[in-house]
Amino acid sequence: MNDPHPVSLLLGALGGQGGGVLTNWLVEAARLAGFPAQSTSIPGVAQRTGATTYYFEIFPFRNPASDPIFCLFPSAGDVDMVAALEPTEAGRALEGGYVTNQTTVITTTERVYSTAEKSIAGDGSLSTVPILEAIEKTARRLVRVDVSGSGKQANARMLGAIIQSGLLPLTAQDARQAIASVGLAVEMNLAGFESGFDYQSRENGSNGSDSPVPVPNFDAAPPGFESEMNEFPESLRWIVGHALARLVDYQNEKYAQNYLARLKPVFAMDRKIGLERNLVLTQKVAQRLAAWMSQEDIFRVAQLKTKKGRFARIREEVGAKADEPVKVVDFFSPGQVELSSALPLFLSRLFSKRIGIKSRSNFALHLSWPTSSPLGYAGLKFLSLLRVIRQLSAGFHKEQQAIQTWLEAVQVAAGVDYSLGCATAELAIWARGYGDVRERGLACLDELFTDWARRLRDNPEAVSEQVRASLHAARYDPDNQCV
Amino acid sequence: MFIPLTSSSKKRHPTRGMERSFAADVHKLTLGVGEAFHGEVILALTKALLQAGVAYVGGYPGAPISHLMDVLADARDDVLGPMGVQFESSANEAGAAALLAASIYYPLRGAVTWKSVVGTNVASDALSNLASAGVLGGALIIVGEDYGTGASVLQERTHAIALKSSIPLLDPRYNMPRLVELTELAFDLSETSRLPVIMALRIRAIHMTGSFICKDNRRPAYSAKNPYPHALRDYGRIVLPPSTYAQEREKYEVRLPAAKQFILENALNEHFPASGRKFGIVMQGGQYHTVMRGLKLLGAADTYGNSDIPSLVLNVIHPLVPEQIEDFMRDKEHVLVVEEGNPPFLEQEISAMAQRAGIRTVIWGKDVLPVAGEYTADVVRAGLAKWLEKIQPFQAGKTAVLNEEKLESQAKRARASLPIPMPPRPPGFCVGCPERPVFTALTLIQRARGQLHISMDIGCNTFATLPPFNLGSTVLGYGLSLASGGAIGPALDQPAVVVMGDGGFWHNGLLTGAANALWNGHDAVLILIENGYASATGQQHIPSTGSTPWGTPVRVSIEDTLRGMGVRWIKRVNGYDLAETRRVIENALDARGPHLRVVISDQECMLAVQRRAGRQQAEDEKLGRRFSRARYGVDEDVCTGDHACMRLSGCPSLTLKPTNEPLSDGPKAFVDTGCVACGLCSEAAMAARLCPSFYRVSRVVNPSGWERLVHSLSRKFVNQMGEA
Repeated sequence: MNDPHPVSLLLGALGGQGGGVLTNWLVEAARLAGFPAQSTSIPGVAQRTGATTYYFEIFPFRNPASDPIFCLFPSAGDVDMVAALEPTEAGRALEGGYVTNQTTVITTTERVYSTAEKSIAGDGSLSTVPILEAIEKTARRLVRVDVSGSGKQANARMLGAIIQSGLLPLTAQDARQAIASVGLAVEMNLAGFESGFDYQSRENGSNGSDSPVPVPNFDAAPPGFESEMNEFPESLRWIVGHALARLVDYQNEKYAQNYLARLKPVFAMDRKIGLERNLVLTQKVAQRLAAWMSQEDIFRVAQLKTKKGRFARIREEVGAKADEPVKVVDFFSPGQVELSSALPLFLSRLFSKRIGIKSRSNFALHLSWPTSSPLGYAGLKFLSLLRVIRQLSAGFHKEQQAIQTWLEAVQVAAGVDYSLGCATAELAIWARGYGDVRERGLACLDELFTDWARRLRDNPEAVSEQVRASLHAARYDPDNQCV
Repeated sequence: MFIPLTSSSKKRHPTRGMERSFAADVHKLTLGVGEAFHGEVILALTKALLQAGVAYVGGYPGAPISHLMDVLADARDDVLGPMGVQFESSANEAGAAALLAASIYYPLRGAVTWKSVVGTNVASDALSNLASAGVLGGALIIVGEDYGTGASVLQERTHAIALKSSIPLLDPRYNMPRLVELTELAFDLSETSRLPVIMALRIRAIHMTGSFICKDNRRPAYSAKNPYPHALRDYGRIVLPPSTYAQEREKYEVRLPAAKQFILENALNEHFPASGRKFGIVMQGGQYHTVMRGLKLLGAADTYGNSDIPSLVLNVIHPLVPEQIEDFMRDKEHVLVVEEGNPPFLEQEISAMAQRAGIRTVIWGKDVLPVAGEYTADVVRAGLAKWLEKIQPFQAGKTAVLNEEKLESQAKRARASLPIPMPPRPPGFCVGCPERPVFTALTLIQRARGQLHISMDIGCNTFATLPPFNLGSTVLGYGLSLASGGAIGPALDQPAVVVMGDGGFWHNGLLTGAANALWNGHDAVLILIENGYASATGQQHIPSTGSTPWGTPVRVSIEDTLRGMGVRWIKRVNGYDLAETRRVIENALDARGPHLRVVISDQECMLAVQRRAGRQQAEDEKLGRRFSRARYGVDEDVCTGDHACMRLSGCPSLTLKPTNEPLSDGPKAFVDTGCVACGLCSEAAMAARLCPSFYRVSRVVNPSGWERLVHSLSRKFVNQMGEA
């Protein structure tokens, strides 16, 4: 049947991205150009952050003898174009069966993370790479649109890309007229349209910029550690060098030496049992140990908040001009635990006993600290300089003990089973955050490592299972007390 | 030691202004005969009402018809008023339905609108009485059938309510000229049958665009400008015996038959004949486009709807006209009924008709189509293919099945190509939403005290049942949360803990909730979120907003109302002050006893605040006036990446940022440029003692000379200390 068929476009967006306006432009452009067309949407006015879809059909012939019948639903296998203002929304169209070898997919590549991804402790983010690969494999054509930094013009840029694809019977002139006729922020949207339209003419198809994970940026090892560094194979030098640089900045060279002293036994063991596994145990311990040893205590936070160039970065973030005053206020809520752990060990003990506050009391200061003012800055700077006496503090003492326990547990576990050793190394992720989060994490580890060697000897499978469950909880159920 | 973060937003409600303004489109409502209308169904319906000569309109907002209320409000002063058309923003759907009482005695056409099925449930007391008494002037109820994708309520249809009350029900074909025509005809149908009429439109239809050729608007015969000469009374219209017995008889003996006759004579239903004689499809009007697209893709129809299979399109699904259906069925071997939703009243009634008339047609329906769920294009097409295969296995059926298999295999391949499922993306609270901190407080309270049974309401607050809050155990209806906690509290030995918005409070919560709780001495904690609007549906005004939708200043105070009723324990909190909010809610929980405690969080809907602030800032910027702009940020190196802040705040602006830091365990927290500086992220971080990563940065635009001087001096000091 040689039957002219409407051209269909399914638009996926998030509430607030301007998908409705984009659809209005299309409808208006079709009307001005004289093509029968129809659109509909599932916006639901309340759904401001949720996924929304819009559906548009246009009949590619003017003044047909009788009215073509438009449909309000996309049909799987019968969608000519999918446009998405967020890459997982393009993925959702694919998931719905709307992307086939007749479909051109135009999508932005910048992620807007969902609550599900954000709620996971650690990395819960979805990579766009497999999504775009799947679309590329399935679709007739995949066009990536760069909308980064375009803010509210993203929809206008998308319109440019849609028109540029040539799939609709609409010209750039039709679209420009439609933008003018709809009358919303016309100048800005026309500019956005042109950039989307031109961008596509320059860069059809892949531009190879989908990599969402930045390449790790390793600091070089500080001077004076050359001979130590040479003891490690090439593959480990990146992380070890970075760790040493961090710890020198955190405390001093002696403290960095301490790190090496802790890492070396693990490395020695790994060289015996982990060569065919590429020394992944050492790799993991090197990373987690450095992170733990540079734990953000009061002194460290003060140091980071007064770090050189911080205000310049913040000014740039808010786009402040040179003469515009910018005020930065930091928020601290040190609880009784943080405060007493900053004290020297004996004082801290005295403090707890005298005042009689239980370690899990609710007491906490709530400070809005004017860091950008001279006085506020000076106060934090002073606190950061106090890090010279960090090693006397109760908190430091407690963390070092926990690190020691963990390291021993890792080595014992690795002796039983290499993979279990690696998983045990991973358990250090529990030592994270501040305040309650940190206390809860350390308590979990403490419980897990109690009687570790004996339990491992008696029932390694059960321990493995506990470690696996604990790692899972650390990611997916981090706010509950550990079981 | 709490230092307020946000300058407490003064209640400065706008005189008017819903989220979406139709002010620019309202002129379309005055188009005259022969002129072309282009636009959304929402606006087209309003135009149709004016063309039909309505005297009064009203309703209650709710997706998908909320914008119909917005259009009417925007049109009130410039279009409706001059024509003498009265507009009322009703307190709830029952109020809107009761408005139609004006049509019982007087030759006044009236139209009201709401969301169905829930709104129709609320309205059904008035509707039953109205239908029993009968109308003289045409009474039309336009309901948004909130069914299928995008729906926000339980899945039921309006059909059952229309059946029980003998209300003619239109489910029109989605073609704009036809839709407008049927809207006008609905009034004639109502007047002829003396019954109110419901027109149900699905979500996608409400948002559909199209064009039609206008007629002139008709002024109502009687209105405030030209009052009806005298009041009328007739015991026959009172719903008491013996009138009610007569009314019931009249409904079935006179009114419904008159409706059937009108439907037939005016061809409200549409018969699309075709060459094929053995098969036919009967469908709800709203399914026509889906069916035709399905047939086309299966190779059984063309783009214009020409097919070998005749169809009967029921734009009126109640009452059915037996002779019309019997005529269509006669001589056909197989008839398919395409009917979305449950129960399948059409299929049942049509089967009964066939049986009674001795017609041996095989009636198909929910045996080839799914029993439940939205009839999307894919669902209907698959059903059609199945049906065609069964009834015509060698010709059309074979082609259909081949086509369907091809489409499905393509879709299957598409789905299979995706290695991972896409993350769910349900609706949620906006950036800066004042409701979020209340739920953060409740989350913290539950973490400390264990889980409570929290009764939730309808409105934005329902989103708290979704991640990351996952709060609340029951939702029983709009404004019903307080009443729904009545038997739960005692059973669990906890106070009834309920959340309600101000929209819900005025809709139903005041009487069904508060009065009931007082009367029965409930041990209850009502957390009332007073953000100033019915926000979920687009910020429609409510009695406590401060003004009507059309700008008349009226404010009914929630707090005064409750005090007047005798509630003693009422505390107002600024939700953004998380510690205080938490403390007050805990106090309310602990003040156990047979009395109601009310915690009112009274910060205005952030979308409204931002709309005003945006305008102000644009003006300041243009005039070069001094203003400051604030937002929050996260120090990447201080953030440890456990995202506890996101699980507590749920802010869309608080998101992830991939990092190149090798020691980091995953992406860091990051505040994007959407931030409106409400401060919840840092408040949550402080209240839960999460981390010191957050900072607030405020930048002064167009600073004074003095400010510049002080700033540059203080920068010099700070730089001296090693900042730069």
